[in-house]
Amino acid sequence: MENKLKEEARKLLKEGKVDYIVGYGKGTVKFRTSPLITNKEEDIEGLVINPFIANNLSRYPAEIKGKLGIVVKGCDSRSLVSLIQDNKVKRDDIVILGVPCEGVVDIKKLVEQIGADIDQVKEIDKEGDNLIVKMDGSKKTVLFGDVIFDKCFGCEYPTPLEYDILLGSEVSPRVELEKSLKKIKEFEDINAPERWRYWKEQFSKCIRCYACRNVCPACFCERCFVDVNIPQWITTYGSWQDNLVFQLIRTLHVAGRCSDCGECERSCPVGITLRSLQRKMVEEVKGLFNYETGVDKDAPPVFTHYEATDPEEFIK
Amino acid sequence: MEETKWEPKVVGFLCHWCSYAGADLTGSARMEYPHNIRIIRVPCSGRIDPMFILRALQNGLDGVLVSGCHPGDCHYQSGNFHARRKFAVTRKLLEYVGIEPERVQFSWVAASEGPKMAQVVKEFVEGVRKVGPNRLFKDEIKDGE
Ligand code: SF4
Ligand code: SF4
Ligand code: SF4
Ligand code: FES
Repeated sequence: MENKLKEEARKLLKEGKVDYIVGYGKGTVKFRTSPLITNKEEDIEGLVINPFIANNLSRYPAEIKGKLGIVVKGCDSRSLVSLIQDNKVKRDDIVILGVPCEGVVDIKKLVEQIGADIDQVKEIDKEGDNLIVKMDGSKKTVLFGDVIFDKCFGCEYPTPLEYDILLGSEVSPRVELEKSLKKIKEFEDINAPERWRYWKEQFSKCIRCYACRNVCPACFCERCFVDVNIPQWITTYGSWQDNLVFQLIRTLHVAGRCSDCGECERSCPVGITLRSLQRKMVEEVKGLFNYETGVDKDAPPVFTHYEATDPEEFIK
Repeated sequence: MEETKWEPKVVGFLCHWCSYAGADLTGSARMEYPHNIRIIRVPCSGRIDPMFILRALQNGLDGVLVSGCHPGDCHYQSGNFHARRKFAVTRKLLEYVGIEPERVQFSWVAASEGPKMAQVVKEFVEGVRKVGPNRLFKDEIKDGE
Protein backbone atom coordinates (compact mmCIF):
# COMPACT_ATOMS: atom_id res chain seq x y z
CA MET A 1 0.00 0.00 0.00
CA GLU A 2 2.76 2.39 0.96
CA ASN A 3 4.52 1.98 -2.38
CA LYS A 4 1.34 2.39 -4.33
CA LEU A 5 0.62 5.57 -2.36
CA LYS A 6 4.04 7.01 -3.13
CA GLU A 7 3.68 6.20 -6.78
CA GLU A 8 0.22 7.76 -7.02
CA ALA A 9 1.22 10.79 -4.98
CA ARG A 10 4.22 11.49 -7.19
CA LYS A 11 2.09 11.16 -10.26
CA LEU A 12 -0.55 13.54 -8.92
CA LEU A 13 2.05 16.19 -8.12
CA LYS A 14 3.96 15.75 -11.36
CA GLU A 15 0.85 15.94 -13.52
CA GLY A 16 -0.29 19.00 -11.61
CA LYS A 17 -3.54 17.32 -10.61
CA VAL A 18 -3.07 18.46 -7.02
CA ASP A 19 -1.19 21.27 -5.32
CA TYR A 20 -0.47 19.38 -2.14
CA ILE A 21 -0.40 15.86 -0.84
CA VAL A 22 -1.81 15.38 2.64
CA GLY A 23 -0.72 12.09 4.12
CA TYR A 24 1.06 10.48 7.04
CA GLY A 25 4.71 10.81 7.88
CA LYS A 26 6.84 9.57 10.73
CA GLY A 27 6.03 11.31 13.98
CA THR A 28 8.47 12.70 16.48
CA VAL A 29 7.27 10.25 19.09
CA LYS A 30 8.08 6.61 18.53
CA PHE A 31 5.68 4.76 16.20
CA ARG A 32 3.25 7.64 16.10
CA THR A 33 2.57 9.32 12.81
CA SER A 34 2.22 13.02 12.04
CA PRO A 35 0.46 14.69 9.15
CA LEU A 36 2.80 15.14 6.21
CA ILE A 37 1.68 17.97 3.95
CA THR A 38 3.83 18.78 0.98
CA ASN A 39 3.99 20.05 -2.58
CA LYS A 40 7.49 18.70 -3.20
CA GLU A 41 8.11 15.43 -4.93
CA GLU A 42 11.21 14.72 -2.87
CA ASP A 43 9.13 14.62 0.34
CA ILE A 44 6.93 11.84 -0.98
CA GLU A 45 9.46 9.22 0.11
CA GLY A 46 8.54 10.14 3.70
CA LEU A 47 4.92 9.02 3.37
CA VAL A 48 3.94 6.02 5.47
CA ILE A 49 1.00 3.67 5.83
CA ASN A 50 1.21 1.41 8.84
CA PRO A 51 -0.97 0.22 11.74
CA PHE A 52 -0.36 3.51 13.58
CA ILE A 53 -1.95 6.02 11.22
CA ALA A 54 -4.38 7.41 13.77
CA ASN A 55 -4.71 11.02 12.59
CA ASN A 56 -7.87 12.04 10.81
CA LEU A 57 -6.54 14.26 8.05
CA SER A 58 -9.90 15.38 6.72
CA ARG A 59 -9.59 18.54 8.76
CA TYR A 60 -7.09 19.95 6.25
CA PRO A 61 -9.04 20.49 3.00
CA ALA A 62 -11.10 23.20 4.64
CA GLU A 63 -7.91 24.87 5.88
CA ILE A 64 -5.53 24.64 2.93
CA LYS A 65 -6.17 26.50 -0.31
CA GLY A 66 -5.66 24.59 -3.53
CA LYS A 67 -6.28 21.07 -4.72
CA LEU A 68 -5.33 18.32 -2.35
CA GLY A 69 -4.53 14.68 -2.68
CA ILE A 70 -5.59 13.35 0.69
CA VAL A 71 -5.07 10.02 2.39
CA VAL A 72 -8.06 8.70 4.35
CA LYS A 73 -9.08 5.58 6.22
CA GLY A 74 -12.70 4.44 6.39
CA CYS A 75 -13.75 6.65 9.30
CA ASP A 76 -11.82 9.64 7.97
CA SER A 77 -13.52 9.33 4.61
CA ARG A 78 -16.85 9.75 6.37
CA SER A 79 -15.67 12.97 7.99
CA LEU A 80 -14.64 14.16 4.58
CA VAL A 81 -17.95 13.24 3.00
CA SER A 82 -19.73 14.99 5.84
CA LEU A 83 -17.75 18.15 5.04
CA ILE A 84 -18.76 17.81 1.41
CA GLN A 85 -22.40 17.53 2.51
CA ASP A 86 -21.95 20.71 4.53
CA ASN A 87 -20.42 22.50 1.54
CA LYS A 88 -17.17 23.01 3.38
CA VAL A 89 -15.16 20.99 0.91
CA LYS A 90 -15.72 20.74 -2.80
CA ARG A 91 -15.52 17.21 -4.12
CA ASP A 92 -13.69 18.44 -7.22
CA ASP A 93 -10.99 20.06 -5.13
CA ILE A 94 -9.74 16.82 -3.66
CA VAL A 95 -8.34 13.56 -4.87
CA ILE A 96 -9.12 10.94 -2.28
CA LEU A 97 -6.49 8.27 -1.72
CA GLY A 98 -8.39 5.60 0.19
CA VAL A 99 -6.76 3.24 2.67
CA PRO A 100 -8.77 0.08 3.37
CA CYS A 101 -8.18 -0.11 7.10
CA GLU A 102 -7.91 -3.13 9.38
CA GLY A 103 -7.80 -0.98 12.49
CA VAL A 104 -5.34 1.36 14.13
CA VAL A 105 -3.18 0.51 17.13
CA ASP A 106 -3.96 2.33 20.34
CA ILE A 107 -0.47 2.73 21.76
CA LYS A 108 -1.87 2.99 25.28
CA LYS A 109 -3.39 -0.47 24.93
CA LEU A 110 -0.22 -1.84 23.39
CA VAL A 111 1.91 -0.59 26.27
CA GLU A 112 -0.48 -2.24 28.70
CA GLN A 113 -0.34 -5.55 26.83
CA ILE A 114 3.43 -5.78 26.59
CA GLY A 115 3.97 -4.42 30.09
CA ALA A 116 6.88 -2.32 28.94
CA ASP A 117 7.52 1.27 28.03
CA ILE A 118 7.17 2.13 24.37
CA ASP A 119 10.76 3.42 24.41
CA GLN A 120 12.00 -0.11 24.98
CA VAL A 121 10.35 -1.30 21.80
CA LYS A 122 12.64 -1.49 18.79
CA GLU A 123 10.35 -2.72 16.10
CA ILE A 124 6.76 -3.74 15.55
CA ASP A 125 5.69 -5.94 12.67
CA LYS A 126 2.22 -7.00 11.73
CA GLU A 127 1.99 -10.62 10.71
CA GLY A 128 -1.56 -11.67 9.96
CA ASP A 129 -3.61 -11.18 13.13
CA ASN A 130 -0.55 -10.72 15.29
CA LEU A 131 1.78 -7.92 16.15
CA ILE A 132 5.34 -9.00 16.75
CA VAL A 133 6.87 -6.55 19.20
CA LYS A 134 10.65 -6.65 19.30
CA MET A 135 12.37 -5.25 22.35
CA ASP A 136 15.96 -5.32 23.63
CA GLY A 137 16.74 -9.02 23.67
CA SER A 138 13.13 -10.15 23.78
CA LYS A 139 10.13 -10.55 21.57
CA LYS A 140 6.43 -10.48 22.36
CA THR A 141 3.46 -11.42 20.28
CA VAL A 142 0.17 -9.66 20.88
CA LEU A 143 -3.14 -10.06 19.14
CA PHE A 144 -3.74 -7.14 16.83
CA GLY A 145 -7.42 -7.23 17.77
CA ASP A 146 -6.50 -6.64 21.41
CA VAL A 147 -4.68 -3.38 20.90
CA ILE A 148 -6.74 -1.43 18.38
CA PHE A 149 -8.89 1.55 19.32
CA ASP A 150 -12.37 0.87 20.70
CA LYS A 151 -13.86 2.67 17.72
CA CYS A 152 -12.27 0.16 15.35
CA PHE A 153 -14.19 -2.77 16.84
CA GLY A 154 -17.50 -1.42 15.66
CA CYS A 155 -16.30 0.07 12.39
CA GLU A 156 -18.83 -0.73 9.73
CA TYR A 157 -17.04 1.01 6.90
CA PRO A 158 -13.32 0.18 7.12
CA THR A 159 -12.93 0.69 3.39
CA PRO A 160 -13.51 4.32 2.42
CA LEU A 161 -16.92 4.80 0.86
CA GLU A 162 -15.76 7.67 -1.28
CA TYR A 163 -12.41 7.60 -3.06
CA ASP A 164 -10.66 8.25 -6.34
CA ILE A 165 -7.84 5.80 -5.86
CA LEU A 166 -8.11 2.82 -3.56
CA LEU A 167 -4.67 1.87 -2.29
CA GLY A 168 -5.40 -1.73 -1.40
CA SER A 169 -8.09 -4.35 -1.56
CA GLU A 170 -11.33 -3.94 0.36
CA VAL A 171 -11.42 -4.93 4.02
CA SER A 172 -14.50 -6.62 5.45
CA PRO A 173 -15.94 -4.91 8.52
CA ARG A 174 -15.47 -6.24 12.02
CA VAL A 175 -18.79 -6.82 13.68
CA GLU A 176 -17.96 -6.30 17.31
CA LEU A 177 -20.27 -3.42 18.07
CA GLU A 178 -20.74 -4.60 21.63
CA LYS A 179 -17.04 -4.31 22.31
CA SER A 180 -16.96 -0.91 20.71
CA LEU A 181 -19.81 0.38 22.88
CA LYS A 182 -18.76 -1.39 26.08
CA LYS A 183 -17.73 1.74 27.97
CA ILE A 184 -20.91 3.54 27.01
CA LYS A 185 -23.16 0.67 28.06
CA GLU A 186 -21.35 0.32 31.37
CA PHE A 187 -21.72 4.02 31.95
CA GLU A 188 -25.45 3.89 31.26
CA ASP A 189 -25.84 1.24 33.91
CA ILE A 190 -24.87 3.56 36.72
CA ASN A 191 -27.42 5.92 38.24
CA ALA A 192 -27.94 9.53 37.20
CA PRO A 193 -26.22 11.29 40.15
CA GLU A 194 -23.17 9.05 39.70
CA ARG A 195 -23.12 9.76 35.99
CA TRP A 196 -23.18 13.46 36.67
CA ARG A 197 -20.44 13.12 39.26
CA TYR A 198 -18.36 11.24 36.72
CA TRP A 199 -18.46 14.08 34.21
CA LYS A 200 -17.95 16.64 36.90
CA GLU A 201 -14.73 14.88 37.83
CA GLN A 202 -13.68 14.44 34.25
CA PHE A 203 -14.15 18.11 33.46
CA SER A 204 -12.43 19.24 36.61
CA LYS A 205 -9.32 18.03 34.78
CA CYS A 206 -10.02 19.94 31.57
CA ILE A 207 -7.51 22.73 30.93
CA ARG A 208 -9.54 24.17 28.05
CA CYS A 209 -6.69 23.77 25.61
CA TYR A 210 -9.29 23.24 22.86
CA ALA A 211 -7.26 20.44 21.33
CA CYS A 212 -10.50 18.45 21.05
CA ARG A 213 -12.09 21.22 19.03
CA ASN A 214 -9.05 22.06 16.97
CA VAL A 215 -8.43 18.50 15.88
CA CYS A 216 -12.07 17.73 15.08
CA PRO A 217 -12.99 17.86 11.40
CA ALA A 218 -16.60 18.53 12.32
CA CYS A 219 -15.63 21.66 14.30
CA PHE A 220 -15.28 23.92 11.32
CA CYS A 221 -16.81 27.18 12.58
CA GLU A 222 -14.87 30.28 11.72
CA ARG A 223 -15.76 31.59 15.12
CA CYS A 224 -16.50 29.07 17.78
CA PHE A 225 -19.16 29.90 20.37
CA VAL A 226 -16.53 29.76 23.09
CA ASP A 227 -14.70 32.67 21.44
CA VAL A 228 -17.77 34.86 21.21
CA ASN A 229 -17.74 37.54 23.88
CA ILE A 230 -21.02 39.36 23.25
CA PRO A 231 -22.69 37.53 24.79
CA GLN A 232 -20.04 35.51 26.48
CA TRP A 233 -21.56 32.05 26.63
CA ILE A 234 -18.58 30.43 28.23
CA THR A 235 -16.14 32.27 30.43
CA THR A 236 -12.46 31.94 29.73
CA TYR A 237 -12.01 30.90 33.32
CA GLY A 238 -11.68 27.15 33.35
CA SER A 239 -14.22 26.03 35.93
CA TRP A 240 -15.54 22.48 35.62
CA GLN A 241 -18.99 23.93 35.05
CA ASP A 242 -17.92 25.92 32.01
CA ASN A 243 -15.65 23.14 30.78
CA LEU A 244 -18.53 20.70 30.89
CA VAL A 245 -21.03 23.04 29.24
CA PHE A 246 -18.47 23.77 26.54
CA GLN A 247 -18.05 20.10 25.77
CA LEU A 248 -21.77 19.32 25.90
CA ILE A 249 -22.52 22.08 23.44
CA ARG A 250 -19.62 21.02 21.25
CA THR A 251 -21.02 17.50 21.36
CA LEU A 252 -24.37 18.77 20.11
CA HIS A 253 -22.75 20.91 17.42
CA VAL A 254 -20.93 17.93 15.98
CA ALA A 255 -23.75 15.43 16.46
CA GLY A 256 -24.62 14.06 13.04
CA ARG A 257 -21.23 15.19 11.73
CA CYS A 258 -19.06 13.11 14.01
CA SER A 259 -17.75 9.95 12.42
CA ASP A 260 -16.42 8.53 15.68
CA CYS A 261 -12.89 9.08 14.43
CA GLY A 262 -11.82 9.38 18.06
CA GLU A 263 -9.41 12.24 17.49
CA CYS A 264 -10.88 14.39 20.26
CA GLU A 265 -10.26 11.78 22.92
CA ARG A 266 -6.86 10.89 21.52
CA SER A 267 -5.74 14.48 21.55
CA CYS A 268 -7.00 15.36 25.01
CA PRO A 269 -3.88 15.92 27.11
CA VAL A 270 -5.61 15.10 30.38
CA GLY A 271 -7.30 11.92 29.19
CA ILE A 272 -10.97 12.86 29.35
CA THR A 273 -13.10 10.07 27.91
CA LEU A 274 -14.62 12.26 25.22
CA ARG A 275 -15.48 9.41 22.91
CA SER A 276 -18.10 8.26 25.41
CA LEU A 277 -19.97 11.49 24.65
CA GLN A 278 -19.40 11.62 20.92
CA ARG A 279 -20.06 7.98 20.17
CA LYS A 280 -23.18 8.04 22.29
CA MET A 281 -24.53 10.76 20.01
CA VAL A 282 -23.65 8.72 16.94
CA GLU A 283 -25.92 6.01 18.33
CA GLU A 284 -28.71 8.45 19.15
CA VAL A 285 -28.67 10.14 15.76
CA LYS A 286 -28.86 6.76 14.10
CA GLY A 287 -31.66 5.57 16.38
CA LEU A 288 -33.72 8.75 16.11
CA PHE A 289 -33.27 9.70 12.47
CA ASN A 290 -31.79 6.62 10.88
CA TYR A 291 -28.86 8.77 9.81
CA GLU A 292 -25.21 7.87 9.62
CA THR A 293 -22.49 10.44 9.19
CA GLY A 294 -20.80 10.68 5.83
CA VAL A 295 -22.14 7.60 4.11
CA ASP A 296 -23.91 9.50 1.34
CA LYS A 297 -22.46 12.68 -0.06
CA ASP A 298 -25.72 13.67 -1.68
CA ALA A 299 -27.82 13.36 1.48
CA PRO A 300 -28.75 16.55 3.34
CA PRO A 301 -26.96 16.89 6.71
CA VAL A 302 -29.25 15.50 9.38
CA PHE A 303 -29.96 18.78 11.20
CA THR A 304 -30.65 20.82 8.08
CA HIS A 305 -33.37 18.40 7.24
CA TYR A 306 -36.51 17.02 8.89
CA GLU A 307 -39.34 14.61 8.33
CA ALA A 308 -42.95 15.21 9.29
CA THR A 309 -42.80 11.89 11.09
CA ASP A 310 -39.77 12.64 13.27
CA PRO A 311 -40.05 11.31 16.83
CA GLU A 312 -41.83 13.65 19.23
CA GLU A 313 -43.24 11.43 21.95
CA PHE A 314 -41.18 13.47 24.43
CA ILE A 315 -43.02 16.70 23.53
CA LYS A 316 -46.15 17.55 25.47
CA MET B 1 -34.30 31.82 61.84
CA GLU B 2 -37.09 29.90 60.28
CA GLU B 3 -36.06 28.24 57.07
CA THR B 4 -37.96 29.49 54.04
CA LYS B 5 -39.67 26.81 52.06
CA TRP B 6 -38.04 26.06 48.73
CA GLU B 7 -40.09 26.90 45.69
CA PRO B 8 -38.98 25.77 42.23
CA LYS B 9 -37.83 28.56 39.97
CA VAL B 10 -38.12 27.70 36.31
CA VAL B 11 -37.76 29.50 33.02
CA GLY B 12 -39.92 29.14 29.92
CA PHE B 13 -38.63 29.93 26.44
CA LEU B 14 -41.79 30.47 24.42
CA CYS B 15 -42.11 31.26 20.76
CA HIS B 16 -43.70 34.61 19.99
CA TRP B 17 -46.37 33.41 17.60
CA CYS B 18 -47.96 30.53 19.46
CA SER B 19 -46.86 29.59 22.93
CA TYR B 20 -46.24 33.13 24.16
CA ALA B 21 -49.63 34.15 22.83
CA GLY B 22 -51.02 31.05 24.51
CA ALA B 23 -49.55 32.15 27.82
CA ASP B 24 -50.96 35.62 27.23
CA LEU B 25 -54.39 34.16 26.74
CA THR B 26 -54.03 32.20 29.96
CA GLY B 27 -53.46 35.50 31.71
CA SER B 28 -56.19 37.50 30.03
CA ALA B 29 -58.66 34.70 30.71
CA ARG B 30 -57.55 34.90 34.35
CA MET B 31 -56.62 31.26 34.47
CA GLU B 32 -54.28 30.45 37.27
CA TYR B 33 -50.96 28.72 36.84
CA PRO B 34 -47.88 28.48 39.03
CA HIS B 35 -46.01 31.73 39.39
CA ASN B 36 -42.78 29.73 39.54
CA ILE B 37 -42.19 30.31 35.86
CA ARG B 38 -40.35 33.28 34.33
CA ILE B 39 -41.16 33.60 30.67
CA ILE B 40 -38.73 34.64 27.97
CA ARG B 41 -40.15 35.31 24.56
CA VAL B 42 -38.21 34.13 21.54
CA PRO B 43 -39.15 34.56 17.86
CA CYS B 44 -39.55 30.86 17.16
CA SER B 45 -38.81 27.50 18.77
CA GLY B 46 -36.10 27.24 16.13
CA ARG B 47 -34.35 30.09 17.94
CA ILE B 48 -33.96 28.08 21.10
CA ASP B 49 -30.36 27.03 21.29
CA PRO B 50 -29.54 24.10 23.58
CA MET B 51 -27.10 26.56 25.08
CA PHE B 52 -30.06 28.46 26.58
CA ILE B 53 -31.11 25.32 28.38
CA LEU B 54 -27.68 24.48 29.72
CA ARG B 55 -26.87 28.03 30.77
CA ALA B 56 -30.19 28.32 32.57
CA LEU B 57 -29.42 25.17 34.53
CA GLN B 58 -25.85 26.27 35.12
CA ASN B 59 -27.14 29.55 36.51
CA GLY B 60 -29.17 27.66 39.04
CA LEU B 61 -32.68 27.56 37.60
CA ASP B 62 -34.49 24.42 38.62
CA GLY B 63 -36.05 23.67 35.27
CA VAL B 64 -36.43 24.82 31.69
CA LEU B 65 -39.60 24.72 29.63
CA VAL B 66 -39.34 25.10 25.90
CA SER B 67 -42.43 25.65 23.83
CA GLY B 68 -43.39 26.42 20.25
CA CYS B 69 -46.15 26.12 17.69
CA HIS B 70 -47.61 22.74 16.78
CA PRO B 71 -45.93 21.03 13.82
CA GLY B 72 -47.28 22.59 10.68
CA ASP B 73 -48.16 25.87 12.43
CA CYS B 74 -44.74 27.50 12.69
CA HIS B 75 -44.81 31.10 11.51
CA TYR B 76 -41.57 30.41 9.69
CA GLN B 77 -42.81 27.13 8.25
CA SER B 78 -40.14 24.78 9.49
CA GLY B 79 -38.56 26.30 12.62
CA ASN B 80 -40.25 23.85 14.92
CA PHE B 81 -39.46 20.86 12.72
CA HIS B 82 -35.79 21.70 12.91
CA ALA B 83 -36.12 22.41 16.61
CA ARG B 84 -37.75 19.04 17.15
CA ARG B 85 -34.67 17.22 15.82
CA LYS B 86 -32.38 19.39 17.89
CA PHE B 87 -34.43 18.88 21.05
CA ALA B 88 -34.56 15.13 20.54
CA VAL B 89 -30.78 14.78 20.71
CA THR B 90 -30.34 17.48 23.35
CA ARG B 91 -32.65 15.60 25.63
CA LYS B 92 -30.80 12.33 25.09
CA LEU B 93 -27.47 13.93 25.84
CA LEU B 94 -28.65 15.69 28.99
CA GLU B 95 -30.15 12.52 30.34
CA TYR B 96 -27.04 10.54 29.46
CA VAL B 97 -24.76 12.81 31.47
CA GLY B 98 -27.06 12.61 34.45
CA ILE B 99 -29.39 15.61 34.34
CA GLU B 100 -32.86 14.64 35.61
CA PRO B 101 -35.21 14.51 32.59
CA GLU B 102 -37.91 16.26 34.65
CA ARG B 103 -35.89 19.47 34.55
CA VAL B 104 -36.27 20.01 30.84
CA GLN B 105 -39.67 19.88 29.17
CA PHE B 106 -40.67 20.50 25.57
CA SER B 107 -44.19 21.31 24.46
CA TRP B 108 -46.31 22.56 21.59
CA VAL B 109 -48.86 25.13 22.67
CA ALA B 110 -50.98 27.11 20.19
CA ALA B 111 -52.10 30.71 20.63
CA SER B 112 -55.60 29.48 21.32
CA GLU B 113 -54.56 26.94 23.93
CA GLY B 114 -54.61 29.00 27.11
CA PRO B 115 -55.82 26.11 29.26
CA LYS B 116 -53.18 23.79 27.82
CA MET B 117 -50.46 26.28 28.71
CA ALA B 118 -51.71 26.43 32.28
CA GLN B 119 -51.75 22.65 32.42
CA VAL B 120 -48.28 22.23 30.92
CA VAL B 121 -46.76 24.72 33.37
CA LYS B 122 -48.55 23.16 36.30
CA GLU B 123 -47.39 19.63 35.51
CA PHE B 124 -43.89 20.80 34.70
CA VAL B 125 -43.49 22.70 37.96
CA GLU B 126 -44.80 19.71 39.89
CA GLY B 127 -42.26 17.45 38.16
CA VAL B 128 -39.47 19.83 39.04
CA ARG B 129 -40.69 20.05 42.62
CA LYS B 130 -40.40 16.27 42.88
CA VAL B 131 -36.77 16.18 41.80
CA GLY B 132 -35.94 19.06 44.10
CA PRO B 133 -33.61 22.04 43.94
CA ASN B 134 -31.05 22.06 41.16
CA ARG B 135 -27.66 21.52 42.72
CA LEU B 136 -26.11 20.08 39.59
CA PHE B 137 -23.70 22.90 38.97
CA LYS B 138 -22.98 23.71 42.59
CA ASP B 139 -19.53 23.11 43.93
CA GLU B 140 -19.59 20.67 46.77
CA ILE B 141 -20.34 22.35 50.06
CA LYS B 142 -18.09 21.21 52.83
CA ASP B 143 -19.28 20.54 56.39
CA GLY B 144 -19.74 23.66 58.43
CA GLU B 145 -20.01 26.01 55.48
S1 SF4 C 1 -8.77 18.45 24.78
FE1 SF4 C 1 -9.36 17.83 26.85
S2 SF4 C 1 -8.39 19.35 28.20
FE2 SF4 C 1 -8.36 20.22 26.14
S3 SF4 C 1 -10.25 21.43 26.03
FE3 SF4 C 1 -10.74 19.41 25.20
S4 SF4 C 1 -11.56 18.28 26.98
FE4 SF4 C 1 -10.45 20.06 27.78
S1 SF4 D 1 -16.15 14.77 17.84
FE1 SF4 D 1 -14.24 13.59 18.13
S2 SF4 D 1 -14.70 11.58 17.24
FE2 SF4 D 1 -16.24 13.00 16.45
S3 SF4 D 1 -15.44 13.76 14.50
FE3 SF4 D 1 -14.80 15.22 16.12
S4 SF4 D 1 -12.76 14.51 16.72
FE4 SF4 D 1 -13.73 12.81 15.61
S1 SF4 E 1 -17.69 23.69 19.29
FE1 SF4 E 1 -19.34 24.30 17.97
S2 SF4 E 1 -19.00 26.48 17.60
FE2 SF4 E 1 -17.08 25.60 18.32
S3 SF4 E 1 -15.98 25.02 16.48
FE3 SF4 E 1 -17.08 23.22 17.21
S4 SF4 E 1 -18.97 23.24 16.04
FE4 SF4 E 1 -18.10 25.31 15.94
S1 FES F 1 -42.93 30.54 15.19
FE1 FES F 1 -43.63 29.25 16.80
S2 FES F 1 -42.33 27.53 16.51
FE2 FES F 1 -41.70 28.76 14.83
